[in-house]
Amino acid sequence: MAERPLTVAVASGKGGTGKSCVAASLLVTVPGLLGADVDVEEPNLALLLGAEAISSSLVEIPWPVIDDALCDRCGECVKNCRFGALLMFGGGAPVPNDLCHGCGVCSMVCPRKAITEVGRPVGEVRLCRRGDLRLYEGRLHVGMPNPVPVIDAALRAALAEGRDLVIDSPPGTSCPMVSAVREADVVVLVTEPTPFGYADLDLALQVIRELGKPAMAVVNRCDLGDADIEGLTERYGVPVAARLPFSRAVAESYAAGNPPAATDALWRDAMVTLWERAKEMAGR
Amino acid sequence: MKIREITVVSGKGGTGKTSITAALAASAPGGLALCDADVDAPDLEILLHPEPREEHAFIGMDTAGVDSQRCIGCGRCRDVCRFDAIRMEGGKARVDKTFCEGCAACTLVCPVGCIAMEETRQGTWFVGETGFGPMVHARLNPGGENSGMLVQLVRKEARRVAESRGLGTILTDGPPGIACPAISAVTGADTALIITEPTISGEHDLLRVAELCRRFGTKAAVVLNKADLSAQGAERIKEACRKEGLPLLASIPFIPGVVHAVSQARIPLAELEEFLGPTWDRLKGL
Repeated sequence: MAERPLTVAVASGKGGTGKSCVAASLLVTVPGLLGADVDVEEPNLALLLGAEAISSSLVEIPWPVIDDALCDRCGECVKNCRFGALLMFGGGAPVPNDLCHGCGVCSMVCPRKAITEVGRPVGEVRLCRRGDLRLYEGRLHVGMPNPVPVIDAALRAALAEGRDLVIDSPPGTSCPMVSAVREADVVVLVTEPTPFGYADLDLALQVIRELGKPAMAVVNRCDLGDADIEGLTERYGVPVAARLPFSRAVAESYAAGNPPAATDALWRDAMVTLWERAKEMAGR
Repeated sequence: MKIREITVVSGKGGTGKTSITAALAASAPGGLALCDADVDAPDLEILLHPEPREEHAFIGMDTAGVDSQRCIGCGRCRDVCRFDAIRMEGGKARVDKTFCEGCAACTLVCPVGCIAMEETRQGTWFVGETGFGPMVHARLNPGGENSGMLVQLVRKEARRVAESRGLGTILTDGPPGIACPAISAVTGADTALIITEPTISGEHDLLRVAELCRRFGTKAAVVLNKADLSAQGAERIKEACRKEGLPLLASIPFIPGVVHAVSQARIPLAELEEFLGPTWDRLKGL
């Protein structure tokens, strides 16, 4: 009987702890995994894997278009928009600006049905490939404020394949990070034993507990710093699944665009363990 | 007096933004006010140890709240919500505050009028005193929303403090990324100081955040950190800076002492000293 596919999100409170390194290393170590890079502000997973985009589709949000002839300048849309995204100048019809969230309230409240919506591109989802390895990359257009629609689109595309999936999540602990991990069966939190890593992991663990997701931690550069990561994760009932020391060779090969597991046996072994534990946690 | 705001950003996280901000603060040539605008992961306080002076609630956008006594479970609010913030649980609508953008569409369609917009606390902001000047910082509640609004608020408060004390410079530790928090952090700043590293991801992310600064009219300059981790990568960053017209203010090698200092919650001042004076000089010269 075919098992249900497993979805693992690799996340971290603090940026630069090695999230993409872990995601890329899982993908090159465990056969048959699909990738999703939803760190859409700064997508780096395809770069690290040397994967090329083979197709792309635009992500759009609804954008109001106001029919100047139908609009009687009543101002209901301007009054009801809570984002200040519609403004009236002189005697003209209201004009939308970049603060628009695409919520649809303006077209709902317009008494003359003068507002329709068109798609406005805010980013793209690229399918990238290197050999047998494939991943979906979400990429926010520079200047667009809200990454969540692009994150959702990339995740939908990846989840639709129904395969074992590794998600590279955005850093932080606010809505982008929550969007990325909420579909996952298991979350892997990558951290480092510095006071920064500790403080940010604490915030990430609070979010994960709130979401009720099984999780494990990976302590990267475990010899650079002595913050008590184990003590912290223990309080949340989260195991440390791997500890990886700093290696100048790994840092140099990462700089050149190679995932650590491509050059380092310690990383490869850790990734095998990580995936096995994720399967156990998810009851597969 | 004209106050100059320098916002430190990076695109990519973990390039050394906070360590360098702290060291710049400790070596500033004149008086300054500090601001931590990385409200998602506010770490500057770990190095600068501000003594708390003020604490305030951050009220973000109003969000939707359902009176479940009166909810009839029709699901119209869920259907109209474009942010996937409403789920039906046990025949009642429930709002996920992490995703509610506060548009109020749900209140417009509820046939029994049981949804109201309510004031929502999304975090806390502080004013503290460091050895180098006053500091405004904040913490968004984990899983919170509206971080861009909180970024704007701490920057505004830092400006108020700087004005009242006659301080000529604001040094702001910005968030990673390029979306709403980063946009809120660089818009209106005089200089965006981009900290990067000589990796292919560092280069990729540098170019995206530099484009963001260009779009929002903020002058950008670059500090290359951990420069010796890849000679080839460092060359590529220098080339990218030349091509984009971005002044490269300093190249700092990978210094293990910086990590050790940070591990002890200490500003890596001695470790970075030789780079800080020239960086401040070049910042002033921009």
